[in-house]
Amino acid sequence: MDITDKKRPTDAPSEARFQVSRLTLWTDLWMGRLIRVGGIGVVLAVIGMMAFLVLQVLPLFSGAQVTPSAPVKLTAPAVAFGEDEYGELPYTIDAQGVIRFQRSRDSSLVQTWRPAADTPAVHSVRSYPREGLVVLGLADGSVQQVQVTYKTTFATQGQRSVEPLVTMAPPVQVGKVGVPCLEAWSVQSSSGRLLLCRQKVAGRDALIAMRLTERKGLGGKAKVTAGAPFAIAADVPDLERVLVPSTADSVVVIRKDGEVRVYAEQGESIDLLQSFRPFTGVSDQRVSAAGFIFGNVSIVFANPTGVEEVWSLYPQKQPDGRSLRRWGKIHDTEPLGGAGEGIYPAVGNKCYLTVANGKMEIRNMTTGSVRWAGPAPTAGVQQVVFDRNYERFTALTKDGALQRWAIVDHHPEASFSAFFGKIWYEGAEGPDYTWQSSSGSDEFEAKYSLVPLFYGTVKGTVFALLFALPIALLAAIYVSQFLRPEWRQVVKPTMEIMASLPSVVLGFLAGLWLAPLVDTNLLKLLCVILVLAPTALLAGFMWSLLPQPVRRRVGPGWEFIWLMPFLCLVGWAAWQAAPWVETTFFTVKDLASGQNVADFREWWRQTSGWTYDSRNSLVVGFVMGFAVIPIVFTIAEDALSNVPTSLISGSLACGASRWQTVWRVVVPTAISGIVSAVMIGFGRAVGETMIVVMATGNTPVMESNPFSGMRTLSANIAVELPEAAIGHTHYRALFLGACGLFLLTFIINTLAEILRQRLRERYKVV
Amino acid sequence: MASHPSDSATPRGEPWVWFTSLGLIVGLTMVAGLLALVIVNGLSVFWAPAVPTLTLSDGSTVIGQLAQRRIRPGSPAADLRFERQYQVGLRELNGNSYSWLDEQKITAETINPTLLGLERMENGPAFVVPVTLVDDQGKSFLAADPAFLPALQAGLVAVQVVREKLHDINRGQIGAVNAEMESLRIALRRAEDRREATEEIKARLAKLDNQFTDLKLAAEKVTASSSAALLTVRDAAGRELKLPLASLVRAWQPNQMSFGDRLGLFFSRLREFLFAEPREANTEGGLMPAIFGTLVMTVFMSLLVTPFGVIAAIYLREYAQDGAVLRMVRISVNNLAGVPSIVFGVFGLGFFVYVLGGSLDRLFFADQLKYNNNTPVFGTGGLLWCSLTLALMTLPVVIVATEEALSAVPRGMREASLAAGASKWQTIRDILLPASAPGILTGVILAMARGAGEVAPLMLVGVVKLAPTLPFDGLAPFLHLDRKFMHLGFHIYDLGFQSPDSDAARPMVFATTLLLIVLVVCLNLGAITIRNRLRARFKGASF
Repeated sequence: MDITDKKRPTDAPSEARFQVSRLTLWTDLWMGRLIRVGGIGVVLAVIGMMAFLVLQVLPLFSGAQVTPSAPVKLTAPAVAFGEDEYGELPYTIDAQGVIRFQRSRDSSLVQTWRPAADTPAVHSVRSYPREGLVVLGLADGSVQQVQVTYKTTFATQGQRSVEPLVTMAPPVQVGKVGVPCLEAWSVQSSSGRLLLCRQKVAGRDALIAMRLTERKGLGGKAKVTAGAPFAIAADVPDLERVLVPSTADSVVVIRKDGEVRVYAEQGESIDLLQSFRPFTGVSDQRVSAAGFIFGNVSIVFANPTGVEEVWSLYPQKQPDGRSLRRWGKIHDTEPLGGAGEGIYPAVGNKCYLTVANGKMEIRNMTTGSVRWAGPAPTAGVQQVVFDRNYERFTALTKDGALQRWAIVDHHPEASFSAFFGKIWYEGAEGPDYTWQSSSGSDEFEAKYSLVPLFYGTVKGTVFALLFALPIALLAAIYVSQFLRPEWRQVVKPTMEIMASLPSVVLGFLAGLWLAPLVDTNLLKLLCVILVLAPTALLAGFMWSLLPQPVRRRVGPGWEFIWLMPFLCLVGWAAWQAAPWVETTFFTVKDLASGQNVADFREWWRQTSGWTYDSRNSLVVGFVMGFAVIPIVFTIAEDALSNVPTSLISGSLACGASRWQTVWRVVVPTAISGIVSAVMIGFGRAVGETMIVVMATGNTPVMESNPFSGMRTLSANIAVELPEAAIGHTHYRALFLGACGLFLLTFIINTLAEILRQRLRERYKVV
Repeated sequence: MASHPSDSATPRGEPWVWFTSLGLIVGLTMVAGLLALVIVNGLSVFWAPAVPTLTLSDGSTVIGQLAQRRIRPGSPAADLRFERQYQVGLRELNGNSYSWLDEQKITAETINPTLLGLERMENGPAFVVPVTLVDDQGKSFLAADPAFLPALQAGLVAVQVVREKLHDINRGQIGAVNAEMESLRIALRRAEDRREATEEIKARLAKLDNQFTDLKLAAEKVTASSSAALLTVRDAAGRELKLPLASLVRAWQPNQMSFGDRLGLFFSRLREFLFAEPREANTEGGLMPAIFGTLVMTVFMSLLVTPFGVIAAIYLREYAQDGAVLRMVRISVNNLAGVPSIVFGVFGLGFFVYVLGGSLDRLFFADQLKYNNNTPVFGTGGLLWCSLTLALMTLPVVIVATEEALSAVPRGMREASLAAGASKWQTIRDILLPASAPGILTGVILAMARGAGEVAPLMLVGVVKLAPTLPFDGLAPFLHLDRKFMHLGFHIYDLGFQSPDSDAARPMVFATTLLLIVLVVCLNLGAITIRNRLRARFKGASF
């Protein structure tokens, strides 16, 4: 090539020509950095998501933090106390009934109130801090109520000043005249006020009650009329202690030997309802401390050896068959480690404080968990009062000091057993797993058991898989191994379309179209479903009986077309025959009309004892099939068609029939792919939300009945999270459910992915 | 000894082959049945069939459009009895727009050719016998008059024009003034609180107040100018009713329309469905806000997910060091696609709305919060958080698709580019990305399809049943990321399950379902087509 040689420049190209431009290098460097940062950022975001969910859940499992603050030094010894809403100006009452207001900041005495000079000597003092009520038992057997109110004024700079005001009502002669009142109670019921007075009459303990009914007069001034005094527990000579719930509908009397007698309001009088003994089977049956829990349907008892039991009112079967609300033991809590000295309930939740063996513990009645444990004041405790918001509690020590503790406990009702354990809730007939997150009453015991939700999730998934797996796997085998290739081009996109159907559409069709349809045609549909499989097998068998030339003319890969009319025919016949089946096998006596009816649903109710809901698990399972079938089908079909042809050819060459090849060679080779398909289908069904929300009744029941609904984790989140208050136990419990879902699906999908990769490697070897 | 297979007339296990085909048949039947069900029910919503007049055995008459037929609950299997549901309309008189009739009690079914179907602003449709029409000029037409129907339709057109004018004033102009007044009021409260000068704000407020009153007056004027025409009709029981034309939307003669007329009505209703706003607690009218909301959210989501997904995929495929860690990361990303969507919703609510939105509000909208009754701006569900949540949810779809597309680019192309002296980034930009663009597009379309159909997470982070404003409008800053919006999927859930009159809502739900399925299936078919082309293109191209 002389010509080109001549044209070539004689000089060597300059060095710069081979140098990469700076801009290129610079761009390359920075784009590389940007992509690295972006990529790692995205990956971190994914991990961060999991971390965030866990962080939201963690506070549920931490205990309470309790910190003591400086005690208020009392100017005089006291026997009871109360405080204002902010805890700024507590008051103490001494044995003479003198009320002293002392500023908690600097222990300074602000105000002193004394009973009127003509008041008989004070024999007992009881304080109801929540109402600001002080009840004095007087020497002449009368009861005196003193009301403490606070006037809070807000100054311009947001500072508030609290001013106390004490008013005294005239004494009411409750007890026997001239006999000192040793203990006095005053509680407000819906009908009026109940006053109680305990006296010692002729060496016997006597408990005398009186009702004050308040009637609003025309002038707007309330007129109080006192009823006649009446004795309660007149047959009990020895009273150890008396508990009066703030609802005033009953009086609980505990005798010295540990027998508990409950006197309840029955009409006008208060009569014995039940007597029982806590601590059966325990060496020491005496009750050393007892207290009502907030809500007044549970009592905690402690005995001198430190055994603690919770008793509650719940419906119990009586010998005559009736079910009546009676007291029964619902919890055995952790032993106290020493004689129970006091049990003080919190307000607004089911926690209580125990004092025993020089230790104080805040315990949750529902879960039995110990929220906090710490040393009790060495001098001993006379009274403990919780504030309204469960933010602090104050104790009056026996040596006359007022000690205060601040509580930080956002989730007193949460614990591991609250979410996963079987718990005997108040008013329930036995321990159970229950999810009931909200109610109209604030005395309500929240029930956060996730077990029924997990159960519902698994139940929905199982029904979905029961229906979807056979169809998806059979279809995958057929499409990958037997179907003609030109049909495959059509079938696979169709299945992908099925995968793309929005679940809200499926849920809507399930709830509003399919559920009513199934409801009216249940047995017909069941009959059709039952005959399908035998029909297909029978058709195949009949086909194989046909002479070979006929079979050869049609050719393989067209079976499903030939099967269709056959299936339609048999399906139609089954549909028509279903009413006959119903009258023959499922005729039962209708309980309402007493007539014989042929109704499968009624038969099911009577035979199984289970309910029948129109939005049931069968409907959910069927519709969830739309979501699960395409996923399982696609992955299984991939796995099956990736089996090397050499294996199939080898098998066929050895003389195996096409079915033998598929069953003995292809399926075993691809089995890990098929298993991973099943697992991914499981993952999809577990998380499905809208179908379950719309196609079930969303009741958190735990029964395996195929004709009842369920409440799944995902549906529960979708329904309740918008209403849950941020940071509340309910909110975090729902996050816990979400975490569970995340972990469950993540683990299952990871296992499936690992299986699939193993399968891929196996093919590489072959 | 077993005979040789070729000798045997029947190969072993042939029935089982047939058995496996059962799976395919059931699967295909399910898809086809569902699509057919939705298409038939969804389209029949817009179709106007003949409306019979029924005489019942107790002598009463019913006029109504057949809705469905079913076996009477509790009827014995031996003697099946059916009942039919008719849409009878006139909710203010009948109490319910639908009623079930025992088939055996229907003694006669006649077709009254003069019957009029009316679509109304309130109380659902009406099927009535027309009597007279008094138009704006006080001219009276008897129903038998051939000029009756043209006069009625002309009156309806005039009514529609007035209605649009009114809507323009109420929604457009008054809405803009209201928005400005709202922000001024917040500014006023802030100024008062800080003891700053308020005169200017007050003056502007007063000016706006004047504008507001003027607009209100204008609106009243338009209302007053609306048609005074009155249509007198008789219902099935013979009661006479006077319906002002201003309360009607559409009128048709179901029993004497030609096929072409019916088709015209069909498309007119379809147009209203697609482009109008909802009426009557969403059970009538159109779906425009929901369609628009779905669209804006989906597009915004894909704008968010595409760059991040592609960058992450490029990183994983081209930059990250191969090893156990990378494999784990890849599996994790893949598996994220299998995590239930509701979990993303929970994360979106907890992190995006409460944590991110709450901090945004505290940092940038402290004034708004303080002077507007603590109404959160970003600290509540909205378009931005919905899009972000769905973007996170669909991220694995895009990453996986992009990774697959990148790995499908033949090694030869990559090596040729590098050998020719291109830098790594140049190779990615000029060779890899163009070659894998269809694959990336497939991923994005699949992500959009999934995002458009997803409801569960959106319920938690900002979709509502009825949004007063669109997320995108003529008021600055045009795209309102903080606004709540309507969504087709949620519309289905809400109408189907939260609606007080589920019978009346049913047609609308089916129509919405059809629309959503069409949208999602089209997106998916597009993705499938692109993918199949792509496969064909790279078949055998690998080295």
